[in-house]
Amino acid sequence: MLALSDYIFYFLAFTAFFSACSVILVQNPIYSALFLASTMVAVAAIFVSLDAGFVAGVQLIVYAGAVMVLFVMVLMLFDLKHDLDAFSPGILSGAFKLASVGVILGLIMGSIYMSADMVFNSQVTPIPATLDPVRGLATTLFGNYLFAFEVIGALLLVIAIGAVTLSRVRGGTHAND
Amino acid sequence: MPMTDVFLKVGLNHYLFLSALLFTVGMLGVLLRKNVIVILMSIELMLNAVNITFIAFNRFQQPEQYNGQVMVFFVMTIAAAEAAVGLALAVMIFKKFKQVNIRFFEHLKG
Amino acid sequence: MQNAPLIFAILLGAPLAGFLFNGLRFKSKNYLLAGTVATAASAISFLCSIVLVWSISGGVTGSDGGEGGAAQVGANFFEWLSVGGFRADAAFVVDHISAIMILVITGVGTLIHLFSIGYMSHDERPTKYFSYLNLFLFNMLLLVLGDNLLVMFVGWEGVGLCSYLLIGFWFSDQAKAAAGMKAFVTNRIGDAGFLLGIFMLFITFGSVQFSEIIARAPSIAEVGWNGPLTLACLFLFIGACGKSAQIPLYVWLPDAMAGPTPVSALIHAATMVTAGVYMIVRLHPVFLMAPNALHVVAIIGALTALFAATIGIAQNDIKKVLAYSTVSQLGYMFLACGVGAFNAAIFHLMTHAFFKALMFLGSGSVIHAMHEEQDIRKMGGLKKYMPITHFTFVIGWLAIIGLPPFAGFFSKDEILWQSLSSPLGHPLLYLVGLVAAGCTAFYMTRLVALTFWGKSRFGHDVHPHESPPSMTIPLIVLAGLSAFGGWLGFPAIFHLPNFLEHWFEGSIKMLPPNEQLGFLEGPLMGVSVVVAGTMAFIAYRIYIYSPKISEEFTKKFKGLYHLVLDKYRIDELYEKTLIRPLVEASRGLWAYVDVNFIDKLTYVIGDAVRGTGSTLKTLQNGNLQQYALYISLGVACFIFYIMRL
Repeated sequence: MLALSDYIFYFLAFTAFFSACSVILVQNPIYSALFLASTMVAVAAIFVSLDAGFVAGVQLIVYAGAVMVLFVMVLMLFDLKHDLDAFSPGILSGAFKLASVGVILGLIMGSIYMSADMVFNSQVTPIPATLDPVRGLATTLFGNYLFAFEVIGALLLVIAIGAVTLSRVRGGTHAND
Repeated sequence: MPMTDVFLKVGLNHYLFLSALLFTVGMLGVLLRKNVIVILMSIELMLNAVNITFIAFNRFQQPEQYNGQVMVFFVMTIAAAEAAVGLALAVMIFKKFKQVNIRFFEHLKG
Repeated sequence: MQNAPLIFAILLGAPLAGFLFNGLRFKSKNYLLAGTVATAASAISFLCSIVLVWSISGGVTGSDGGEGGAAQVGANFFEWLSVGGFRADAAFVVDHISAIMILVITGVGTLIHLFSIGYMSHDERPTKYFSYLNLFLFNMLLLVLGDNLLVMFVGWEGVGLCSYLLIGFWFSDQAKAAAGMKAFVTNRIGDAGFLLGIFMLFITFGSVQFSEIIARAPSIAEVGWNGPLTLACLFLFIGACGKSAQIPLYVWLPDAMAGPTPVSALIHAATMVTAGVYMIVRLHPVFLMAPNALHVVAIIGALTALFAATIGIAQNDIKKVLAYSTVSQLGYMFLACGVGAFNAAIFHLMTHAFFKALMFLGSGSVIHAMHEEQDIRKMGGLKKYMPITHFTFVIGWLAIIGLPPFAGFFSKDEILWQSLSSPLGHPLLYLVGLVAAGCTAFYMTRLVALTFWGKSRFGHDVHPHESPPSMTIPLIVLAGLSAFGGWLGFPAIFHLPNFLEHWFEGSIKMLPPNEQLGFLEGPLMGVSVVVAGTMAFIAYRIYIYSPKISEEFTKKFKGLYHLVLDKYRIDELYEKTLIRPLVEASRGLWAYVDVNFIDKLTYVIGDAVRGTGSTLKTLQNGNLQQYALYISLGVACFIFYIMRL
């Protein structure tokens, strides 16, 4: 008998899938951005259902809150009234692309099926209540992965500087006005 | 009923299957769409799919440990940073060429 | 002898050092310094030779060798090659045979070096010349002193190289450079034979060391023509033909007169051309086991002696006459080897070195005085202008035509006697040798008469003068040797000690003397003296008193005369039958095979690569999404591969 959590999973999965397909299928890029945000919310919900609450929160804040806002802002900068048809031309190459992606999907599904005995028996096991997810995550992150964490920090610094450098205009923003 | 229950009862491979689907959808977006921004968004979609995989494995294989979640942290960080840089580049390109159609950027032609 | 390696090192090292010293300064025009260094190096080698020869002679000349002195003295410097069963060391040995050789080489060599100082005083590149001379000396010593065939071969090739360098010394003249090339190529053909001979000897005896080969030479003579020893000896003889200018490979020697005259004296009279004779004498136990090969040697030697002598009669260039005379005398040496009279061959080698070098140097003196004129028809009456040169040249002349008591008489007579009386000899060989001796007397007398005697035929603008002492002293020394050098080998019937026979007693196998014909030795000696004297007298009468006879003769027998003058057109024959077809064949190969096939092959490969490149280039059209497609295809393959695992 399917439990409630199963139904919730199926609902969330369907939402995510539908939003993802819409991202790539709709014409207007603003709509694409909005659908992407919806996908991310669905994914965050999936994280919650997998008992990864903290990560779900981070997902919402970073992805849906910051990255998507950035996307929408950039889209606003462009004047896209005279828009183009959404897809790259070429039926033949389009067919090739579909075919190759289909092959990859088939292969991944095949590999999931082939390792079925590993995943078949793995059902959800209850988590001991004494587990403190945030504390555990923090311990792991700043313990085992400290070096990687620091490197990521340095990387973020570099990215920030890089982004500013890339978009710098000599003489200031209004120099060419 | 119990037969189909085996397939319908949610287990690890369902999450993996979902992740694979989202990943391929994202890949299709990269290959098929003309707008540069939409391509970047498809890349974000792919990264999200990967995150699902990590968390799923973490929950089903190592519930007491948090390695998967830490990986998701890092992936998220990198994805956000990369989106920022990509968008900065897109803005610069648009300012210069007044185009966001990727067909106009065939400068790697050799 | 304790310090043998040291003496050997100095013996070989002095000329090598001289070569390096002069070679590094080859642009210098300081002929005095270069010449002095070179002559000093040669003199040091001479002193070392004396020391070595003294050590093996027991200290007392004329004693029966073997007592008090070792049979040989050697030095092994390092192990050069050792592969499987093959071994050759950088080792040198002086025994009774090579003792004579090194004394001749270094002694006559030093005199020629001294002569060269005066001769090359006005040359453009004297230092280079002296460095080449020293290099030649070094290589010649390697050849003679090597204790195995490989070291000898190194020296063999080395003297060939130096011969090429020295013949073509004035290389800016195309003809002279071509003469050098001709010498080298002809030599090379002989060397191929020599190498084959070495290979066969190694196969038969398992070693290339002389002492081992001689020890293993079997005591049963081979009959027939296809035994390994006969083949080996024939191949070796081909090598000797190339180096010592016998038929059919003699053609380079007359052309080699393009080089400076001291070079002709040293290389083409005294030393290098005798290398072939030396090699056969060295290996004489092996040759004695292959009598058919020895017959070939004798026949070729006799024929060459006669052939070259006839050509010499008609030549007008003083050096060409001497060149053909050298070929002829070398033929005598091979004739001696061929009849088994190896000690006579060495004896004649030694006396020939003396008088031929003397005459070449004398001709050099004459050429120098006549301001590079070499045609004897334009000379004459030089007797009063160059007394010393004339006197020494006359001594050489008397020696070569074989008048007693000069050197040539004893050695040539020994050869003629042995060619008749030896078990391997034949009356026909004797006859050919006698006729050649007559021709020799004729043309040598003609040469001396036209050059030194009679009326002067040169113009008033030529003022010949005697040469400086640096050039006349060697002439005098060599004249003395030509006069008295023959006294080392008195024949038995004179009842005087035969030093050389004793000297060679342990080293050279003597064939048993002919008891039956022994009585003929004295009379035949008289016959040869009479023949030589008569021909000389005839020539003297013709060319001094009645030159018209020779003119009428050339007019009456114009065809024959021109044939002989053109050296029987052998060079032209070779050109037509051998050289031209080879050149045409190689040109055809180049024009057809090389251009059409080999070049095309490289072009095809190049074009294929370029075509592939341009085809693949179409993949790169700048379409980013296509690139992404390729990536995804690659990912698909990768996942597939992982899954297969």
